[in-house]
Amino acid sequence: MTPLPPRAGLLGEAEDFASIGRAVTGAPARACSRAWWIAFAGACGLLGVFAAALAWLLLEGVGVWHNNNPVVWALDIVAYDWWIGIACGALLTSATLRLTGAAWRSGIDRIAETTAILAAAAAALYPIIHLGRPWVFYWTLPYPNTLGLWPQFRSPLVWDAVDIVSFLGVCLGLWYVGLLPDLAALRDRAFEAALAEGRAADAGRGRRRRTTLLKAQVYGILALGWRGAATHWERWLVATRTLSVLALVLVVALQTGASVMLAGTVLPGWHDTLLPVTFLAASLLSGVGVTAALAVLVRRALGLEALITGRHIALMARLMLGLSLASAYCYATEIFSSLLHGDAFDRAVLVRRLAGSHAWAFWIIVVFALLPVQLFWFSRFRRSGLAVALVGIAAAIGSFGDHFMLLIVTLSHDFLPSSAHPYAMGAWGLATLAGSVGLFLALLLLGLRTLPMVSIAETRRFAERHPDGRPSGERAPTLAETAQAPLWGVSAEFDDAGDLAGAVRALKERDYGARIETYGPVPMARAADALGRPAGILPLLALGTALAGGTAFMLMCLYASGIDYVFDVGGRPRFSWQAFMVPSVSFGTLCGGLATVLALLFQNRLPRLNHPAFAIPGFTRASEDRFFLALEAAGPRFDPERIERALARLPQGRPLMVRRVPL
Amino acid sequence: MRQLFAPGADALLRLALLTGAACLAALPVVGAGLVRSSYVTGVGVAPAQPVPFSHKHHSGELKIDCRYCHTTVETQATAGIPPTHTCMTCHTQIWSGSEMLEPVRASYAKDQPLVWTRLNKLPGYVYYNHAVHVTNGIGCSTCHGSVTDMQLTYRANAFEMSFCLDCHRNPEKYVRPKDQILNMSWSPPANQAEIGPELVRQYHIRGGERLTECGICHR
Repeated sequence: MTPLPPRAGLLGEAEDFASIGRAVTGAPARACSRAWWIAFAGACGLLGVFAAALAWLLLEGVGVWHNNNPVVWALDIVAYDWWIGIACGALLTSATLRLTGAAWRSGIDRIAETTAILAAAAAALYPIIHLGRPWVFYWTLPYPNTLGLWPQFRSPLVWDAVDIVSFLGVCLGLWYVGLLPDLAALRDRAFEAALAEGRAADAGRGRRRRTTLLKAQVYGILALGWRGAATHWERWLVATRTLSVLALVLVVALQTGASVMLAGTVLPGWHDTLLPVTFLAASLLSGVGVTAALAVLVRRALGLEALITGRHIALMARLMLGLSLASAYCYATEIFSSLLHGDAFDRAVLVRRLAGSHAWAFWIIVVFALLPVQLFWFSRFRRSGLAVALVGIAAAIGSFGDHFMLLIVTLSHDFLPSSAHPYAMGAWGLATLAGSVGLFLALLLLGLRTLPMVSIAETRRFAERHPDGRPSGERAPTLAETAQAPLWGVSAEFDDAGDLAGAVRALKERDYGARIETYGPVPMARAADALGRPAGILPLLALGTALAGGTAFMLMCLYASGIDYVFDVGGRPRFSWQAFMVPSVSFGTLCGGLATVLALLFQNRLPRLNHPAFAIPGFTRASEDRFFLALEAAGPRFDPERIERALARLPQGRPLMVRRVPL
Repeated sequence: MRQLFAPGADALLRLALLTGAACLAALPVVGAGLVRSSYVTGVGVAPAQPVPFSHKHHSGELKIDCRYCHTTVETQATAGIPPTHTCMTCHTQIWSGSEMLEPVRASYAKDQPLVWTRLNKLPGYVYYNHAVHVTNGIGCSTCHGSVTDMQLTYRANAFEMSFCLDCHRNPEKYVRPKDQILNMSWSPPANQAEIGPELVRQYHIRGGERLTECGICHR
């Protein structure tokens, strides 16, 4: 990853490696404010409402939501679709920006992934709680049971169960892999603080606190011992891109699967081939809207104006504008095609959408999702963080209207006047919805306090080096250098990735009986080239596992529904492979995602909490602004003095410090 | 430089991860084992009864017909638990002073039924009809086991849905000739594969799709 020369307005002018790291790792501490506590108290209040709503739901049953027959899907499925739409939109944004190499993903991708996870967590509760007996939710999963039955794989209930598990798996995988280097930075800053505290205590100032070291160790375990080796970084880049591809496939399969399920029925208002596209466009708009609002929030609350710049916000605004136009086009086409070649029932649904008892839902789409975003034709509004945040939230509200209109208007009145039944939202349904918002907010606020909300590695691509020429560790000789103790190797410290790559190239030419590895705060493409890049089997492995997982799931569905548990559902074919595609694709991506994460960890031999490289003097700065070259003793030809002489004679960029590292 | 973690930390972390993974893997295995165990299903466990009634003695050794006590098994949904009068038909004459039978005599004198602990239970949402089964080739022992060998009566099978479905999916493996219904030691003869389908035809059992309809049992 070479730094992109022009900062292109995507990074503050004065920022360098160290300041980016410190801005992000220091952000959780800055989040600790009165405003945070007030917001957290509010979110916890909503969580209390959620708990009460769920308790009442368990006592009384789903009737408390005022669902009826024919409106069997009401706020529960509306809210589920809405949340999962936001999650899909946000994840799709992050994955697309990474895969297309868009420079401006730097400040956005972590927030988008976090949005996706939190929204998916809120969505994940709905398929469970909307079951009549939620405590037997596992009946929707295939497992060897005493009933001698299989789940009904043609049912969207099973799709939802598989989809949501897969979504959470892939999304968490992408998020966590991206987080590893940042967690390592948090660990190193916390460890530095603990060491400084220890030194101060030794000097008689202040006292040691166990919590400081404990915090470093918690981050250390979460970072799985990430130490920023060049090969690790190369595999990390491949893994994040692989996971992005899987996420892309999953999102498209999930959103179109859910909408094809509706479009596949004959019901007026649903029976439309454009529906999957409408779904995807609307979900993208809501996902980008929430991501933009959160980006503005993170920027303001954590003081990260230099990392999430006005340009990021303006680009999000442009993206929203484009998506809202696409959405508007879809809505207009639906209306137009109903008028042009729809039957009487189709036109009747159209009239009810526009002027029926739930017409407010349609007008919410127009007023919240489609109109406010038009402000972004003017650059003044694109530059205003407040405007972008408000419009983003409005887009999400509009999307809720979309899901409500789609489900309720059609269900409450289809073909027969006799089967029409009015529906009104119940207080407990709304309380459940508010509670799920509370869950989202509470988790988000906890995340703001503990985790880096901006990807340090992505942001550093725009930073140039700021060499101060000072070695990071103390120059005093260590025990290893004086006592002739067994050595692990020799380390050299650089403040520039180019010097590091030059040193690697120079040292590769001769055999020093040592294994060469480099460590740094960003991917070191040139050093990795000189070292020889690791074989890129990760994508192939992911593809293979995804295909195997998807095929296995499909075969299981076919065997269960076509051979082992033949069950006539309205005369549907025994081998309804089309219906099994949705969960099969989802499950395949889950397998691919898990395989990618596990293979990344295995290839990098992580987790490894204690590693000799951590004993390199000043190594905590390997996650900040220093590059380390390590020559690990490997073989009888290893001679530290010879290596030290070679390092002193490097043609370009001498190391700041050369040290022997004990075993 | 000092390390954040001691060298032993990796061993501990690996131990913790492996333990976590093992627990995660063990959870479904243990759960699956538990729901199939006698502790949950009660199979093979003879609970305390007001009188230690022995099917082995009465039905096995003395050869009293099942239907002498379970009178409605061929005509009604339930097989019927005998009233105290049925016991007393004999026990007014024999063992009339037995201490073991004191609760029976008390029940008879007070005209209050004996309260037996129920063994074979089906959930409320399952419709089951004894008459339909025993008049169509399903013998007592297919579900209740070899009752004539039970000194104290216990549940022979956990009546889980898969137990019912085994037969409903493949009735030809379990049907018997009419004269074998009450035979407690019946096991499928060597030529069951030949006579099974023939019996199914004779009993007019419409197997497969008809017998596995939800509404057959869940009405």
